[in-house]
Amino acid sequence: MQYCTACQKAIATIVVMDLSEGSVTGSQHVCAECAELLGVAPAKPPKLPSAMLEDLLGGFKPQKDSKGHSRETPQTECCPGCGMAPAVFRAKGRLGCPRCYTTFRTDLMPLLQRIHESQMHTGRLPSTMSQAPAPIDPQDLSDLRQKLEDAVRGERYEEAAELRDQLRRAELGEAAEGEESN
Amino acid sequence: MQKSRSDDGEDPRGGPSHRDFQPGAWLAGTGPESDIAICTRVRLARNLAGFPFAPSLDDTESERLYAFITDRLAQPGLPVRLNVLDLEPVDELERSMLVERHLISRELASSTRHTGVAYDSRESVAIMINEEDHLRIQVFSSGLQPDEAWARMESLDDTLMQRLPMAWSEEFGFLTSCPTNTGTGLRLSVMLHLPGLVWSEEIDKATNVAQKISLAVRGLYGEGSRALGDFYQVSNQITLGRDESEIQGDVMLAVGRILQWEREVREALLRGAARVKTLDRVHRALGTLERAQILTSEEALGCLSALRFGIHTQLVEGFTAGAVNQALLLSQPAHLQRYTRQTLTPEERDQRRAQMLRELLGCTP
Repeated sequence: MQYCTACQKAIATIVVMDLSEGSVTGSQHVCAECAELLGVAPAKPPKLPSAMLEDLLGGFKPQKDSKGHSRETPQTECCPGCGMAPAVFRAKGRLGCPRCYTTFRTDLMPLLQRIHESQMHTGRLPSTMSQAPAPIDPQDLSDLRQKLEDAVRGERYEEAAELRDQLRRAELGEAAEGEESN
Repeated sequence: MQKSRSDDGEDPRGGPSHRDFQPGAWLAGTGPESDIAICTRVRLARNLAGFPFAPSLDDTESERLYAFITDRLAQPGLPVRLNVLDLEPVDELERSMLVERHLISRELASSTRHTGVAYDSRESVAIMINEEDHLRIQVFSSGLQPDEAWARMESLDDTLMQRLPMAWSEEFGFLTSCPTNTGTGLRLSVMLHLPGLVWSEEIDKATNVAQKISLAVRGLYGEGSRALGDFYQVSNQITLGRDESEIQGDVMLAVGRILQWEREVREALLRGAARVKTLDRVHRALGTLERAQILTSEEALGCLSALRFGIHTQLVEGFTAGAVNQALLLSQPAHLQRYTRQTLTPEERDQRRAQMLRELLGCTP
């Protein structure tokens, strides 16, 4: 989601590209209203924000069948990391956890392209630091926390205590594998 | 917030002195290009691995996250000494003051979660806890100092990454709740005072320069896109696919052009027939600040903008840029109410604002 660079208020739905000899030399993201004012788009009735977002997400609107009932699109599963439903992601444009980046990848990639004109990070990362912290797999932490919650619910307190310690160490970036053998 | 009282800071009428309300170091009015560039701000969005992001975070996890982060921030060894302010018991007025000081966002101020902010005594670093992202780290520098601000940020971020498990991937960089921040999580903003461009009606052309390279230009004060008092901020919007130095290059390219443009326009405003109009404008503003009994926020910002311009173009003497910056801060509603120790109606605020500005600028009551 990107705000209109002209009014800074509305969500940009139109990309105005500067072309020079067939190649794109610049671009501006504007909303429909500003595009109209700037004379780069025909006047159109304003769309609802959700419709705008669905446009941005590109082609993942729920299909309607002949009776007018919503028919689910192929990507219907909630994120296994945090339980976020695809509809919630599409409505809010926000991710619920690191794993959502994988779960909603099909929706996310075109969105990132529209926002950043890129889909790949090129800046610094913890792994490029001179004293890099140990890599942490967010999934390991989520799994551990799930196991911990299950153990507490099941009143398996000894197991829960061990899992809690493992989780703390994992959060500190210490290798979880070593702890599991204890 | 700096609450220390200077020895000579007592108000003879028993009210709080303006010395209780010194702005943070970034409003000192010093640093390179500080006649136009008020301050440089670097912000990083970071989330912790193992916790859901804000949209999926329940209250229990939110509490646990808050405790975990504040515990790690309290440990010694950070490049700057930070005090954590728990916002839960902080009232609305005090939260608004923190917003006006740019230490927290409006979103954090209105959040119902357990939130907090860690900041240093100079208010040059502020870390928001439990905002849209788990951490929003901000570093401020007075004037145009992107290298200095980034160096401090990098050092702080390195230390934080050693003690907090950040969520990241090789492909997407730092993982954020909103895809608009994914990647570097970096937002570099420069606050600019552009009265020359506004008065000569060149501002739209100048902001277009920035927008052409995907930068955002917003007003520093006021809501929405309307820039009160001729104060603007220019910041990057792209955070993915461009590294930190490229982002800085983009912002500095636009800021450099705008600075040059503003200087050219200022020179033109001080030459020939334009000079007397400019002098008139500045002195009318000064006259208003010296004599007005009622001043709206908008009018005060306009007058202070003209005075700031007059100081930097040597049209008026006897005032410092630092004093004007302080006046800009104290003119805002929450600071004004704290200053007067009263909850004020908008009408009362306008009256007290006029009085406060006369006191602050040493004008005849």
